[in-house]
Amino acid sequence: MKPAALFLADGTRFDGHALRYEGIALGEAVFYTGMTGYEEALTDPSYAGQILTFTYPMIGNYGISETVAQYPRACVAGAVMKRIAQHPSHHQSRKALGEWLDEQRIPTLVDADTRSITIALREHGTIWAALAAGEEAIARAEAQLTDFVRTATTKELVPSVATTVEHVEGREGGPRVVLLDCGVKKAIIRELTALGANVTVLPYNASKEQIMEHDPAAVFISPGPGDPTDLPQTIETLRSMLGQRPMYGVCLGHQLLALACGAQTFKLPYGHRGGNQPVKDLRHGEVIVTAHNHGYAVDALSLPSALEQTMVNLNDGTNEGFRHRDLPVAAVQFHPEASPGPFDARRLFAEWLQDLV
Amino acid sequence: MPQRSVLVIGSGPIVIGQAAEFDYAGVQACRALREEGHRVILVNSNPATIMTDPEVADAVYLEPLTVPSVERIIERERPDALLPTLGGQTGLNLAVELFEAGVLERNGVELLGTPVDTIKLAEDRERFKHKMIEIGEPVASSAIVTKIDEGLAFAAEHGYPLVVRPAYTLGGTGGGIVYDEHELSETLESGLAASLIHQVLLEISLLGWKEIEYEVLRDGANNCIIVCNMENIDPVGVHTGDSIVVAPSQTLSDLEYQMLRTSSLNVIRALNVQGGCNIQFALHPERSEYCIIEVNPRVSRSSALASKATGYPIAKISTRIALGQTLDEIPNPVTGVTKAAYEPTLDYVVVKIPRWPFDKFPLADTTLGTQMKSTGEAMGIGRTFQAALMKAIRGLDLKRETLTGSALAEWTGDQLDAVIAKPNHERLFAVAEALRRGIAAHRETEAIARIIELSAIDKFWLYELLELVRMEERLREQPGGEWGERALEAGYSTHSAGVRNAVSFRMVDTAAAEFPAKSPYYYIAHGESDEMRAPAKEAVVVVGSGPIRIGQGIEFDYSCVHAAWALREAGCAPVVVNNNPETVSTDFDVSDVLIFEPPGADEVEAAYRATNARGVMLAFGGQTAINLADELARRGVTIVGSDRRSLDMAEDREKFDAALHRLGVARPEGKAARSFREARAIARELGFPVLVRPSYVLGGRGMEVVYNEGQLASYAESAPPILPDAPLLVDKYLRGLEVEVDAAFDGEDILIPGVFEHIERAGIHSGDSISVYPTQTVAPEMEQRIVDVTTAIARELNIRGLINIQFVIHEGKLYIIEANPRASRTVPIIQKATGVNLVAAATRIALGEMLRDMPYGTGLTPRAPFVVVKIPVFSFAKMRGVETILGPEMKSTGEVLGIDERFAGALRKGFIGAGVRMPAEGARVLVSIADEEKEASIPILQRYASLGHRLIATPGTREYLQAAGITCERVNKISDGSPHVLDLIHDRGVDLVINDALGARELTDNYRIRRAAVEANIACLTSLDTARALAEALENTAGPPRTLQEYRCAQTTKSSP
Repeated sequence: MKPAALFLADGTRFDGHALRYEGIALGEAVFYTGMTGYEEALTDPSYAGQILTFTYPMIGNYGISETVAQYPRACVAGAVMKRIAQHPSHHQSRKALGEWLDEQRIPTLVDADTRSITIALREHGTIWAALAAGEEAIARAEAQLTDFVRTATTKELVPSVATTVEHVEGREGGPRVVLLDCGVKKAIIRELTALGANVTVLPYNASKEQIMEHDPAAVFISPGPGDPTDLPQTIETLRSMLGQRPMYGVCLGHQLLALACGAQTFKLPYGHRGGNQPVKDLRHGEVIVTAHNHGYAVDALSLPSALEQTMVNLNDGTNEGFRHRDLPVAAVQFHPEASPGPFDARRLFAEWLQDLV
Repeated sequence: MPQRSVLVIGSGPIVIGQAAEFDYAGVQACRALREEGHRVILVNSNPATIMTDPEVADAVYLEPLTVPSVERIIERERPDALLPTLGGQTGLNLAVELFEAGVLERNGVELLGTPVDTIKLAEDRERFKHKMIEIGEPVASSAIVTKIDEGLAFAAEHGYPLVVRPAYTLGGTGGGIVYDEHELSETLESGLAASLIHQVLLEISLLGWKEIEYEVLRDGANNCIIVCNMENIDPVGVHTGDSIVVAPSQTLSDLEYQMLRTSSLNVIRALNVQGGCNIQFALHPERSEYCIIEVNPRVSRSSALASKATGYPIAKISTRIALGQTLDEIPNPVTGVTKAAYEPTLDYVVVKIPRWPFDKFPLADTTLGTQMKSTGEAMGIGRTFQAALMKAIRGLDLKRETLTGSALAEWTGDQLDAVIAKPNHERLFAVAEALRRGIAAHRETEAIARIIELSAIDKFWLYELLELVRMEERLREQPGGEWGERALEAGYSTHSAGVRNAVSFRMVDTAAAEFPAKSPYYYIAHGESDEMRAPAKEAVVVVGSGPIRIGQGIEFDYSCVHAAWALREAGCAPVVVNNNPETVSTDFDVSDVLIFEPPGADEVEAAYRATNARGVMLAFGGQTAINLADELARRGVTIVGSDRRSLDMAEDREKFDAALHRLGVARPEGKAARSFREARAIARELGFPVLVRPSYVLGGRGMEVVYNEGQLASYAESAPPILPDAPLLVDKYLRGLEVEVDAAFDGEDILIPGVFEHIERAGIHSGDSISVYPTQTVAPEMEQRIVDVTTAIARELNIRGLINIQFVIHEGKLYIIEANPRASRTVPIIQKATGVNLVAAATRIALGEMLRDMPYGTGLTPRAPFVVVKIPVFSFAKMRGVETILGPEMKSTGEVLGIDERFAGALRKGFIGAGVRMPAEGARVLVSIADEEKEASIPILQRYASLGHRLIATPGTREYLQAAGITCERVNKISDGSPHVLDLIHDRGVDLVINDALGARELTDNYRIRRAAVEANIACLTSLDTARALAEALENTAGPPRTLQEYRCAQTTKSSP
C-alpha cells in the first residue's frame, strides 16, 4: 500500500496509507463527529478548502449512493479516516467510497490515528495543513505547506463553490423566494421546494437591484464556507434590504445577516462539525439536537438591541439563532435541513415560509 | 426540591433475561436520589447485589418482591414516592400491581417518571399497535383470523411470508411461517384446530429484516435525545438478548439512521415516557422501510449496554428526570462541562456477544429464537468492528481465541448450513468455518452468497469476518510479523498473533474527543498514541469475572466492587479490568481507572504496567481471574494477596491431600481412575454411592453421584473418554450435612464472619442448595472444630486474604470437600448478614495490613440474633429440555434471601421470594419418591397431609404411602394411559410437585413429570430435604419486614458486652 501523511502547520505529522489517487491537499484541518453521513459531508460546499478528518473510525460502510450528494462534486480538499470499507453493503450503494474519492481526485489518508488528530486539533485549534498521498507528494508536502501558510486565505472559498448563473428551482405558483447562494447544499433547496416555494438561486454577490428584480416574498441566505467578513459586498446588500423584504439565513447566511444588522462574528477555536449539537430554543424552552458545520460564530454579546437571541448552544453557550424584534428577519447557525444529521429543526423552514403566505 | 423518601424496587434474583444490569441501574438510581438529598428505601430479594448494601440505600429491605410483602413495607415506611422503572420487568410489573391494587393511592405514594398508563400501553400489543397507527408509525400488519378465507384475503393484501400464531395453545403448536397460499391454507387449518378459541393471529413476517435498537431519553419538558443506536448482526428472528449486537449501527445510511431516530422521538413523545426507553425496529434491507417491533418504557439490558458503550449513564439521568429535572439542566458527568442534553458520538465500535449456559445443560434445546436463553454477555470495545468482535469473543471465557480452528472444522457442509440457517450458539463460528472453506476453495464470493441465502446476515459483516478468517489462516501458516501486528490491532491475543507490541489506551468520552473528558474509562488499541493518565496514588489492579454464567454470577462482581471501594478507602487507586457491560464493577464511578477489556493475561498485564500498579488482585474475580495466576507470574506481574503457590496447592489434588494429611484433616476417600474398568474397581472398594468427575474440569462440570454399577456404566457411556493426563476421580460419597465458611486470613489471625449450613445433604452443588446462617443443627464444639480446621488450612495454604471451604459432617466427623483461595457465592450474603466487610478485610490483608489493626475483629464473629436463608432460583422454564433434578453440577442462575428472627420465618420469606407459591390448605401435591428414599419420605409427607394438603401419587408410591397410613389419591402412570400424570399437570390439577427420583439420567417418566411441572409453572422440589424445609415454612408464619439496618442494630446491641 502507498503511504500518505497529514502535516499540520505546527510540525506534527500523522502517517497512514493512500488510496490510488496521489496528490497534495492544502487547507484547514478540521474534524467531523457524525457517525454517519460521510457522502453528504464530503460533498458539502461548506467544507471547501478543508481537510476533513472523520472521528468515527469506520467510514464507507454503506458505499456511495450518488443520490444524497449535496453538490455535483466532492468539496473537501482532502479526507482523513481510520478505516475505509472495501466491501460496502447497501441497496443504494453504487460504488465504494475509495473508488469515488479516487475518481474525485481527493487526496485521502486512511489507516490514520484519527483520534490523536482530533485531540491535536482540539488542543491547537483549527490549523493549516497538508495532506500528501503517495511518496512523491509526501516528499514535497512540507515545503508546499510552508508556502501555503504564508499566503493562505479563505477569501476564494465562497466563489469557488457558489453558483455564477441564476437558476430557478421548484414549481411555478408557489411563494417566490430568492436564495443567495454562498455555497448552498442541495438539501436546502430540497426543503424549500418541498414546501412549495419557487426558488430563484442567485450568486452570493447579486446586487439589491438584481434581487428585487425577482420581487421575492423573502430572501434566503445560504450556508457556505469560510469567514463571513470575507463578503463585505453581500453584507452591504443585506443591510440595504433590511425592512424591504423578509430575510432568513442559515449558517454562513446567519452570520452574514448578523453582520448586516450590526453584530460581530469571531472564529471558534476548532469549530462545530457534526450531528449532535444540543441547542436550546429560548422561545419554546425545548432542546433540539442539530447538525453543525461552521468555524465562525456570531458573538451573542455583540447583538444589537434590535436583535433577540432565540437559540443558544448548550455545549459552549455560543449563539445559535436570532430574530429581529421589529422586522421579519431571522436566522439560525445550525442546519435545519440536516443531510447529514438529525431533523429536529426541520420545521423552521415551514415556519419561515408560513409567514409569507 | 424538598427532601422526600423514595421507594426503589429491584429486579430480584438473576434469571435468564434479567441479570446484573438492574443492580447497575439500581445503584445509579439510589446514588442519584441521595445526591439530591432524598431518603432511599430499597426492596430487593437478591442478596448478591451492591444495591442491597446498607451503604447504598437508607433503608434496605431484603424481602420478597410480591404485592403483600411490599405493601407491608409501604405501610411501614410511608414513602412519598415510588420509582418503578429501574428494576427490570419484575420491578415494573410489581409497581403496576401495587398501583392497580390501590396500595399506592391508599398510602399516598406518588409514582415517579413514566406514568402507569404508558407502561400498560407498551405491554398491551393491541393498544400499542393502535397508538402507533394513530401517530403514523409503522408496525407489522396483522389480523385476527377465524376462517381460512379471511387469512387468504389478508395474504392477498400483504403478500408472503406470513407468520401464523394460533391463540391459546401450549407452546405455539400449530403455528409457523408460511411462504405461499398452499402452506397458508394448511397451516391455518391446523392452527385453527389447535387453538382453544378457534382463532389465529396472522402477521407479516419480518424475518431477514435488520434488527435495530435505539436507546432514547425524554424529560418532563418533552426534550429527547438518543443515547445510542445498535444493530444486531443476527437479523430479526433471534431475541435481541441472544443476538450479537454492534453499537453504533454500521450498515445504515445517514438517512436511515435519522429516519429511525425521528421515529424514536415520535414514539417516546406519543407514549409520554419520562426517563429511559428502548425501541426495537425492523428495517427492510432492500427498501429502507421499517416497522416498530416493541418498546420497553424502562431501563433495560440494552440501556446498560448503551451506557457502557457510550459512557452515558442512562439510569442515573433517568432517575434525575423522574425527579423532575430536565436534560438541559443536568450536567454531563463524563465531560463535566457539557449538559446531559447531549447525544454521545463514538470514535470506536462496540460488540456484545451473549454467553449461553449450554455447556451446563447437554439436553437443552440450543436453537435460538424468540425465547432468550443466554445468562450473560461479554462486550468488546475496539477502534474497529473487528477488534471489538475479537475482544468480545475472547472475553466469553470459553477458551476460544479465534473464529476458526475449533471442532467445527470437522463438521460437514450440511451441518454448517443447518446451523447457519437455523441459528444456535455456534452460528458465528459456523459462518467463519464456511468462509474458511470458501477461501480454501478460492470461492469466497460464492461462500458469502450462500451464507446470505441461508441466514440473511448482511454482506458487510461477512466481509469483515472474511478478513479475520484470512488473517487467521496466514497466522496459522506463519505467526508473528506484519500479520501478527495486524492481528493485535484486530483484537487478537498476543498468543494468537505470535507477537507482542506496545499497547495504547484510548478513552471512552461520549464525544469522540471533541471535548476533554474527566471519566477514567479506557479500552486498549494498538498502533495508536496512548491516553492513559496513570493515577497519582498507588494503583492496584482488581481483575473482574467477565460474563455472568451459571456458577460465576453477580456475586463476584459484588466482591470486585467492594475490593475497589476498600482500595480507595486505603488510599490506593483501584484499577478494574472487566468486560461485563451489565455490572456495577464496570461503572467508571467505582474505580479510579476502568479498563473495559476481557480479563485476560494480556490485558491485565497491560493495565498493571500502564498504571505502575503495585500488584494485581485475583481473588475477587472468580475462577476466571484465579486461572490467570500462573501466566501473570510468568510475565513478572506481582500478585498481591494469596499468591500462585497457594492457588496451586488448593487446586492440585495431590498437594492438597498432602497438606490435609499433615494437618490430620479428613476428606472423603477417593482415587483417580485411568479407565472405567478401574473406576468400577475403585467404586467397589469404596462402596457405593460414589462421586465421579473428570479431573480437568472445575465447577462441577460432568460431576455425578453414582449409586450402583448400572449407573456407573451409563455414566461411562455418556461421559467423554478418560484421557491419560486427566484421570477420572472417584470419591466416596458421604451423604452428610454440608457446611461452608468464608474467611480472611492474614498469616496470623483469621476472621470468620459465620458458618453456613446447607439444607440439602451433600451431593447437591452448594450453589443449588438452600443455605442457612447461622447454623441450626451444628453443635458448638463442631463449629469450633470448623474454625480450627479453617485456620489450619489457611495457614498451610499460606493464604493472604480470602478462603472458602466446604465441609461435610458425616456421622459426627468433619470432612473437607474443597477449599478455594478466593471469593465465593456466599461472600455477599455473609457480609449482609453479619455486617463484617470480609472483602475489605481481605483487600487490606493483601496490602499488608493485619486483622488486629482493622475494625472487623478476629476469630468467629458472634452469631447474629436472626436467621438468613439463601434459596436458589432456576431458569428452567426458559431452557427447553433441561433436566431439573439437582446434583453436583450447578444449575441455578440466581438466588434470593429470606431474613427473619426465626429460621422458619426466614425459610418462608425465602421460598416466597424465590417465586414458590405457598400452597394453601387443600392444595394438591403430586408425589413421586425414589425407592431408596421412600422410608425417609414418610414423616415429611405426613406433615403435608397434616397441613391439609391432598397428596396424589402414581400407584407404586401411593401404595407405599397408604400402607404407612397417609391418605393419597391415585393418578395413572404415563404408561397406564390417559388421563395420566402429565395430563393432570397440564390441566393445572396440581399445586406442588415433589419428585426426587435420584440419579435419573435419561428421558424417564420422572424427567417428563419434572419438565411438565416447569412448563406449567408449578413449583417442583427434587429433594426431600427441600420438601422438609418447605413443610417447615408452611407450618409457620414469617415476621414483619425489617430493614437490614435494623437487623444490624439488633446484632450490635446483642453482641456488645
